[in-house]
Amino acid sequence: MVNYLVRRLLWLVPVLITVSAVTFIIMRSAPGGPWDTDPERRQVDAATEKSLNAYYGLDKPMWRQFYAYIIGDTNSQTKEWVCGMICGNLGPSYRQRGRTVQDILFAPPEGKNFWQSRFGYSMRLGVLALSMAVFIGIPLGILAALKQNTLIDYTALFIATSGISFPSFVLAIFLIIIFGSWLHWVDIVVDDWTQIKYWFMPMIVLGFGTMAYTARLTRSAMLEVMRQDYVRTARAKGLAERVVIFIHMLKNALIPVITILGPALAGLVTGSFIIETMFSFPGMGRAYVQAIGQRDYSMIMGTTVIYALLVAVANLSVDIIYVFIDPRIRLEE
Amino acid sequence: MRKMFLVLSLLVVASMVLTACGGGSTEPQTVVQTVIVEGTPQVVEVTVAPSEPEKEAVLRVNLGTYPDIIDPQKSSFVNEIAHLNKVYMGLTTLNEKLETVPGAAESWEFNDDATQLVFKLKPNLVYSDGSVLNAKRFEFAFQRNIDPATAGQYASITDEIVGAPEWRAADTSAADYDPEAYKAALGVKASHADGSECEGYEDTACDTLTLTFSKPAPYFATIAGIWVGYPAKEENIAEGGEIWWTSSKFQVGNGPFIWESVDPFVKSVFVPNPNFAGAGIPTYKLEFRYITDSAVAFEAYRNNEFDVIGSAAEDLPVIEADPDLSAQHVTYAGSCTIKIQFNLQPTWYDKPNPFTDKKVREAFALAFDAEGWTRDVDGNLSLPTWTWIPPGYPGYDPNSPLRFDPEAAKKALSEASEPFNSPEKLNALGLKLNFGDTPRNRQRSEWIVANYKNILGVDIALDPVDPTTATALQKDPNTFPLLSRGGWCADYPDPQNWLSVYWRSNTTFASRPGYANPEFDALVDEADQTVDPAKRMELYAKAQQVLLNDIPAAFGYNTLNHYLVKPWVKGYLTTPQDAGFPGDVTPWTITIDTSMIP
Repeated sequence: MVNYLVRRLLWLVPVLITVSAVTFIIMRSAPGGPWDTDPERRQVDAATEKSLNAYYGLDKPMWRQFYAYIIGDTNSQTKEWVCGMICGNLGPSYRQRGRTVQDILFAPPEGKNFWQSRFGYSMRLGVLALSMAVFIGIPLGILAALKQNTLIDYTALFIATSGISFPSFVLAIFLIIIFGSWLHWVDIVVDDWTQIKYWFMPMIVLGFGTMAYTARLTRSAMLEVMRQDYVRTARAKGLAERVVIFIHMLKNALIPVITILGPALAGLVTGSFIIETMFSFPGMGRAYVQAIGQRDYSMIMGTTVIYALLVAVANLSVDIIYVFIDPRIRLEE
Repeated sequence: MRKMFLVLSLLVVASMVLTACGGGSTEPQTVVQTVIVEGTPQVVEVTVAPSEPEKEAVLRVNLGTYPDIIDPQKSSFVNEIAHLNKVYMGLTTLNEKLETVPGAAESWEFNDDATQLVFKLKPNLVYSDGSVLNAKRFEFAFQRNIDPATAGQYASITDEIVGAPEWRAADTSAADYDPEAYKAALGVKASHADGSECEGYEDTACDTLTLTFSKPAPYFATIAGIWVGYPAKEENIAEGGEIWWTSSKFQVGNGPFIWESVDPFVKSVFVPNPNFAGAGIPTYKLEFRYITDSAVAFEAYRNNEFDVIGSAAEDLPVIEADPDLSAQHVTYAGSCTIKIQFNLQPTWYDKPNPFTDKKVREAFALAFDAEGWTRDVDGNLSLPTWTWIPPGYPGYDPNSPLRFDPEAAKKALSEASEPFNSPEKLNALGLKLNFGDTPRNRQRSEWIVANYKNILGVDIALDPVDPTTATALQKDPNTFPLLSRGGWCADYPDPQNWLSVYWRSNTTFASRPGYANPEFDALVDEADQTVDPAKRMELYAKAQQVLLNDIPAAFGYNTLNHYLVKPWVKGYLTTPQDAGFPGDVTPWTITIDTSMIP
């Protein structure tokens, strides 16, 4: 297993370089650059643009810019060697000048801890949303399968279908009106994200779709497993229904569910533009989307690499979890 | 092992949830009081319920987008400036009539040909922390703005200063690059009143700042008041490094407020600066929030969680249907003119360009139904215009030959030169309207296309591109779109900023679409160098008429500042230059009537 893990981790290096290369090519193919701002305002003049390009190395050939991002390069202005992504440096933000991408995403504001950084906020919300998806979605799917074609099944299916089809911005404003404007249970303008009550609405909006998908997947997987011979055998042996459901059925039905939960976690923890916009949530999703519009190249590269890394790690975790769920699976194979 | 794994997973989730938790509660308190009962003092212990806290005068404003950078010499966006002008004040400032009035400077004086401007600072100026604020600080601000190492977006705005363009264009990577030599040659000098050298930032007698220009610049007293001249402290910038501006502790200024705290993307809190040397000290605390979704901000406003928000077109039906909200809806002229801009280059992608023909331009300008646009597209949240400088700004002149006139538009098209004098001929050229593709811009562009189809019978294809691509296309004369929507928002209230900066043939804005008229250039050049204000304005008025006569664009509409303001917010004086909330230019006039807050 250790060999397998080491091998998989080593594979991350070419994966991340490939992701970076593809992102770099697509990003730099798009017209415009980081200094193109509001056309109705004064634009960066030629002399200043030249200075900025020289400082950020944007005046160098494309291959060298990519090399500088991955390995590093000497800054032509300061004459200092700046190590690249291999040293954990995700590059300088072109729009939040003076700040590096890792600083923007991982450094907390003054006097706060890591969990109050943009990544920290997104991570916590993502984990909460995934927990909701797992702890509500899976039981809902089980219940729907066990009570197939009953009111419970239809209700569960209705919730699941709503979760998939309901746009998150509609759900968000709906919750804000109910809990903020009508019931006054929470403030719409969040003052203090250290209070748990403010996390429920973003958590529900972020996790609802994944929860719905999890419920549907669990239901169909359970329905398939229920018809298997070994389930019939377990019942014929006189095992308690609880044991049949949770040990024999659920364990096998969970394989496809866990498969999707890995990438889902990566998607949830990297934040959501909609949720962050609607709830003014200080996560990293908005940074990603804004960076694309602003052509903040390092920010686009950095967030993409982080996303790729999270997907890879999540998939690796899923592979490890398989072993615990299904003893037939061996990682060495 | 598996159970342990499960337990461990649950613990991780629980710890993350708990990390997110916190906060306090309001519990009844036991207090010891000394009371006098019939003249005999007795100590009694009573339990009291928490009383209703006294309402604090706080102005809670939704600013929308959180700024990218809050550095006086690097910022450029309205939301960034809205922060900076709370914390800092320039040598001059604006009043509610957009007149240039004393800021940190008590007075200023130009020499005879306006090539030198001498500011005398107010006596005993201090920063909010009590430290001395002298002319040396302003000298540093202008030097930093010009220094190519700063590379601010507005660096070129001070190019009239002797030595500024040369330093900005210097090759900083050259072995012989000497910033101190450029600094010494710069036309920015702090001194004592008698002209002797200042001794540093603690020198209280250092009260004179002299700016020397390479050409007459009678408008520069206004420029000296904008954010690029705000006196951020050199030692704070040095200590905080490149990210000094992210910390409120380094943002020590001389503005009406002190930046008390910042929670990025959540909240900024400003408290009154008792050392403010402006026209008045605010009497309230100011809070900025950063909610970008207008529907959420509107709900929060209705929930009394905001005192001021920008109103959105989609909320108008609700606002108009509600008498209270209607009364709270404040609208007034903004700082931008938006136009349908024509490519004026001789050819467009090697095809004949119809907009080189003045009659075609006239037809398109006269066919633009500005009032229809304001009504149908903007829900009356803009002002129709047929001229360039917007109302409220010096130089505004409503007289224009370009008012909407469908019949005159058709006639003008029929009088165009042979290849372009009918809708069919124009349709054969395949006209396109280029725009940055957002839902709002698509709606706008569809209206423009339909308008020209209805009035002139001309078919224009929509040409949507990514918004940054649209900006990039407009930067190159070779790719400048045949038709596009664009405009200008004032940096400062002077016709020079509207005419010379934008339309003079050697500026980037005029040269990209290809506008050039020697008569216009001569008029603005003369105006820019004329010291007599009345004569200056007369020359700019003539230049504007030349511009309108040339029809380089269909001048469409002026932006409108539109806010919802709670009734307990009183005393605000609106100006088109407001950057964040009504009364933003003179925030000390605002009061909060706490007795009205529910």
